[in-house]
Amino acid sequence: MRHTFVFFILLLLSELSLTGARAADLHPPKQVTAGNGFSIATTGNGDATFYLVGPSDRAKQTVRLGNAIEVAADDVRTAGRYIATVCGSDGCASSAFYVVAAAPAQLSFLVHPSRVPVSAKDAISAVAFVFDKFHNLVLQPVKVDFNVAVKDAPAISRSLPTNNGVAWIRLNATRKGGPAQVVASIGSISEHRVVQQVASDACNLRIKATRKGNSVAVETETVRDCSGNPVPDGTVVTFTATDAKGKTTVDAPIKRGTARVQMRLTGGATISVASGVAMGNEVRIGGTP
Amino acid sequence: MDQRDTSFFRRPIPPAAIVLIALVVHAPLLIMQLPTTTTYDANFHIFFASHYAHHWFNPWNEQWFAGFSQTTYPPLGHQWIAILSFIFGLNMAYMLVQLIGVVLLPVGVFRFARLWVSERAASYAALLSVFLGTVAFLVYSAGQLSTTVSAPFYLLALPYFYEWLRWGRGRALAKGVVLTLVAASIHHVTLLFGAILFAAPVLMLAWMDRRAERDGGGLAVLGRAAVFTALSAIGVAIVLLPYWISILQHPIEQVPIPHASRSNFLLNVDYGMNYFIVPYGALILALPFIVIRGASVPRLRPLLIFFWIAFIFGLGGTTPLPRLLLGRAFQILTFERFTLLAALLALPIVGLLVEELLDRAPKLASIGVSIAAIATFALALGWMYFSPFKTIGGMNVDSVVSFLNRDGHDKYRYITLGFGNALPKVSTYTTANSVDGEYNSARLLPEMTQYGAAQLTSAKFFGRAGMESLRAMLKHANRYGLKYIFVHDAYYDPLLAFAGWRKIETFDNGLVTVWSKEDVPPARKIESDAIPAPWEGLLWGILPIGCSFFAILLWLLVPDRVRSLEIVPSSTPAEVPTYAREAH
Amino acid sequence: MRYLLALLIFAVTLLFVAVGWVTSGGLARAEIRSASTPTEAVQALLADVQSHNWDRAYARLANNKDIDRSAFERDLSGSYRSLRTYSSLEGFDVWPIHAASEQAVVRANLHWSTAVGPIDDVRDLKVEHQGSSWKVDWPSPNLPKVPPQVIPVNYLRWDVINRGPEDDWGEQNVDTPQVRIISMNPVERPDRLIILGEIVNEDTVPAYVNVNATLLDQHNAPMSQEGSFDKISHTLLPKQVSPYRIDFPGIKLKQIKSVRMDAKAMLVPASADPVIEVSGQRMNTDALGKKVLSGELLNESGQPVNIAQTLAVFYDSNGRVIWVSDGYIDQALLPQTPVHFAVDLPDDVAAKVQNYHVTVNHYSSGNS
Repeated sequence: MRHTFVFFILLLLSELSLTGARAADLHPPKQVTAGNGFSIATTGNGDATFYLVGPSDRAKQTVRLGNAIEVAADDVRTAGRYIATVCGSDGCASSAFYVVAAAPAQLSFLVHPSRVPVSAKDAISAVAFVFDKFHNLVLQPVKVDFNVAVKDAPAISRSLPTNNGVAWIRLNATRKGGPAQVVASIGSISEHRVVQQVASDACNLRIKATRKGNSVAVETETVRDCSGNPVPDGTVVTFTATDAKGKTTVDAPIKRGTARVQMRLTGGATISVASGVAMGNEVRIGGTP
Repeated sequence: MDQRDTSFFRRPIPPAAIVLIALVVHAPLLIMQLPTTTTYDANFHIFFASHYAHHWFNPWNEQWFAGFSQTTYPPLGHQWIAILSFIFGLNMAYMLVQLIGVVLLPVGVFRFARLWVSERAASYAALLSVFLGTVAFLVYSAGQLSTTVSAPFYLLALPYFYEWLRWGRGRALAKGVVLTLVAASIHHVTLLFGAILFAAPVLMLAWMDRRAERDGGGLAVLGRAAVFTALSAIGVAIVLLPYWISILQHPIEQVPIPHASRSNFLLNVDYGMNYFIVPYGALILALPFIVIRGASVPRLRPLLIFFWIAFIFGLGGTTPLPRLLLGRAFQILTFERFTLLAALLALPIVGLLVEELLDRAPKLASIGVSIAAIATFALALGWMYFSPFKTIGGMNVDSVVSFLNRDGHDKYRYITLGFGNALPKVSTYTTANSVDGEYNSARLLPEMTQYGAAQLTSAKFFGRAGMESLRAMLKHANRYGLKYIFVHDAYYDPLLAFAGWRKIETFDNGLVTVWSKEDVPPARKIESDAIPAPWEGLLWGILPIGCSFFAILLWLLVPDRVRSLEIVPSSTPAEVPTYAREAH
Repeated sequence: MRYLLALLIFAVTLLFVAVGWVTSGGLARAEIRSASTPTEAVQALLADVQSHNWDRAYARLANNKDIDRSAFERDLSGSYRSLRTYSSLEGFDVWPIHAASEQAVVRANLHWSTAVGPIDDVRDLKVEHQGSSWKVDWPSPNLPKVPPQVIPVNYLRWDVINRGPEDDWGEQNVDTPQVRIISMNPVERPDRLIILGEIVNEDTVPAYVNVNATLLDQHNAPMSQEGSFDKISHTLLPKQVSPYRIDFPGIKLKQIKSVRMDAKAMLVPASADPVIEVSGQRMNTDALGKKVLSGELLNESGQPVNIAQTLAVFYDSNGRVIWVSDGYIDQALLPQTPVHFAVDLPDDVAAKVQNYHVTVNHYSSGNS
């Protein structure tokens, strides 16, 4: 709290002195790169106090007017507008300058969603934010390479410039299920994300039924979506059988590509199958031999 | 020649010695903070006091029932705890206020008994009050702080009432009225029934004594009684004005909640033990003497009649009388407090019994009475451990409090399940609010008032009504911002699982689990017409505590000039051999 | 004269106590205990069950030589942490169905208070005249006993690791599952408005769902909000469909302009076990004359299911959801052991039912 107060007082002093009378003068460079030390030339004579106030840095040192003021690299690590103020016996003088981000050093890479149905158009959104080593957003345009790699499928690569530090791309999901490696890179800097491309709804769901005494074993063929990708294990398949005793239903998860159940059925029965909103075939099975 | 009997057994016990005995008996138990772990209500009183400690002039408390007014319960006992808590902490402050109650009780009993019996018998009555089973039951098992602190003030007010009725002394009127206001500011129900059960026999006694002394003085007594009653009624109306406003605005119309004290004790042995055998203890043996002696001596008859009424009320639903006389109020009141009132009314006559026994066989009687008194007290304390009705007020709730007070969890409301009377303990120390609470009369949420069950945390003990109430509240979780549920009883797990809550944390080696529902929005203030106006908060914060300070000032600055108890005829019938008579 | 008041007090006290004893049911209780009629015999038995006095209840059975005492107790107090073990008999209504000089049939409606809410259970009990009193011929408890065996279970399970609080904001997280309300139908009943429908988990991961509905009045202002509470399967495996039902007591259809539905889903760890078969489903009429959908549940897994709830969705000829009802099963579902269930539905709805589907919700202690 106390530091914040001092900061605002200094800022106020600086702003006032920018418009006030100048006994001494400062000549900072117009633009400085973050994390680089530099000198500020001064005019006047005598001892003075130098203040440097930036977006998240501040510094104070005693200087001699007329000599150059050395600003340490650590004092200008945050990009943004800085105000340099020098206060001597004749009053204060201020000057503003900008610190810009250093060379790209980090990428923040947002990929959404984490799961996407296969063949979905523009379903994957990849956004890259380019930062320097001090976490300053690099506003200068930089080329970001996006690369999507899916096993057993050709990789997709595109290169896009950043706009105000951000580059983004929308990608189609491939027809092939499985993990898609999405990579954003700038030179040697790269970030990896994984998007699971998952099978869509079951397509052409088919079952076969075999009677074993009083029960009937019902099993699906390998459950696949319309692109031929196997529907993930755990997906629920609903078997419905109607016999003389009434209706029997079982919600069974797919295990190793197929779902199977044993149903206690007497006499002839009609068995159907569904998964979610997708319906499958219907089979009729005769009574006990 | 009048010769004073100097035997130890034939002299009154000095009141200071009785107070010392009360301290010796009760102070260690209270310093050990026994009531916080063994009683049903101690945590409730501490919770109320905690609110006054933080918001003296704002009786609207949002921590229970999504907001309720503490003007629905007289504040003085809680305000004393709040003040003392700044020095001693909440728990010890509670113990101190309770200690004041149990130490003042023998003083009150002595002064009240002195109206009816000799100083010596009154001193025995006072001594026995220290060991009363009902006092031990109410202090260490029920945790009825308000009843046990308020009753002594009524007892202290009664001799002044008598003095005013008999001799019309103004300072007696002032002291009597102020003490009545103090008692009323501590507990409203004790005020109501104390006024009838204690003041009426004293009025009858004064009327009888006055008529015996001067022919035709009864009207003056009645006139003074009317003045006393009017002043007390006006005083209580003003001092507790916010209470009357809240009770008129929201009369108790909720579906009655079952309470064991309303049962027929003959049909349930445990209830009979809990509400009759334990509170009365050895007093049961004295019942024939109380009735026979009370009926034999005309001066004791008013006492006997009102003792009998209190006794019958203390039996709850064992007799139809309370239900017939109280109507709907029967379903709101709990009846264990009447056992205390009955015992206090009986004590003067029991004092006579002890006096006579000591006169007949000093050593044997002293040993017998001591054993009976100590056994009664011990039974009441022992019953806490053997009773099937257990409290869990001593449960460690630190982890629950810590969870609620971190990471913004207090933006949501919570309930506890299976916490019993540890719920107020959670509420006292957390910044989060709950829709549940332990004070049934202040509830306004329909999910709680329409089912005939009390606390949600104990829902299962109220059977279908309790579980229906809990279901209703859980259904409206989003409305109340009810996100977190702390479970100390796996009985509730299935309901929570089926209703869409998920277990997210476990505390204390699995004893407590935390359940959460993800789609619950942060709690918002529930608008209510029960919020007291600021001026009500101001009155509430000034008048009751002001009364108690005024009473202390009166006691310090205006000492009793004339002993009102100096003319008490013997209560021993003529044919009973008199072994000692007091010198007047 | 001196003792008159004392005698009067004693007498009046005794009188009051006696009257209190009679009016509180003491006399009735004594009569019931004598079991001098078939109804009293059942009442006495159930009163003993209510107070967990198993020895006395067992002694009241006509056929206690044929029934093991512990089996009788387990029949009424439950086992395997079933819902019955979380229940207490709060009350009962008893009325005779058929009476002869030596045998009678008495119907008992048992009102249970359970951990999930009130449950009523109707039983027809045979009563026999033995000696001077009547005794209940308790149906032999059919307690399931699972033979020792090894049931291979190779079930699927999903675990979730979410982004931690210390991770960078750009760090990838796992998305919430995609769920969709596939049908919604408001149905007006005499005392309430009910929103019925189905929801599907369209994703490839399990979803934990809650469905809320907000009724909007003629000015599009929210009138009332309620949730599906326990009338839904909250955990939906991939592509699983659950019915839901949201009740709005005291609201009429004409009062509302529209309904805003809100399905909240979150990713949770889940298991694909157990698989429960619902067999022999058919509509019929129960002993009380109510329309019910009944059948049997069969736990095909190796672990007992402590508490099961059946959720039945009923469709009309257009495939529209016209009713959703549910019921809790008071027995545990032991592996490979069929358990009967029944859920009721209003007669007027039953007449329109063309099809139905039953799903099973389950709770296993320690797996919540």
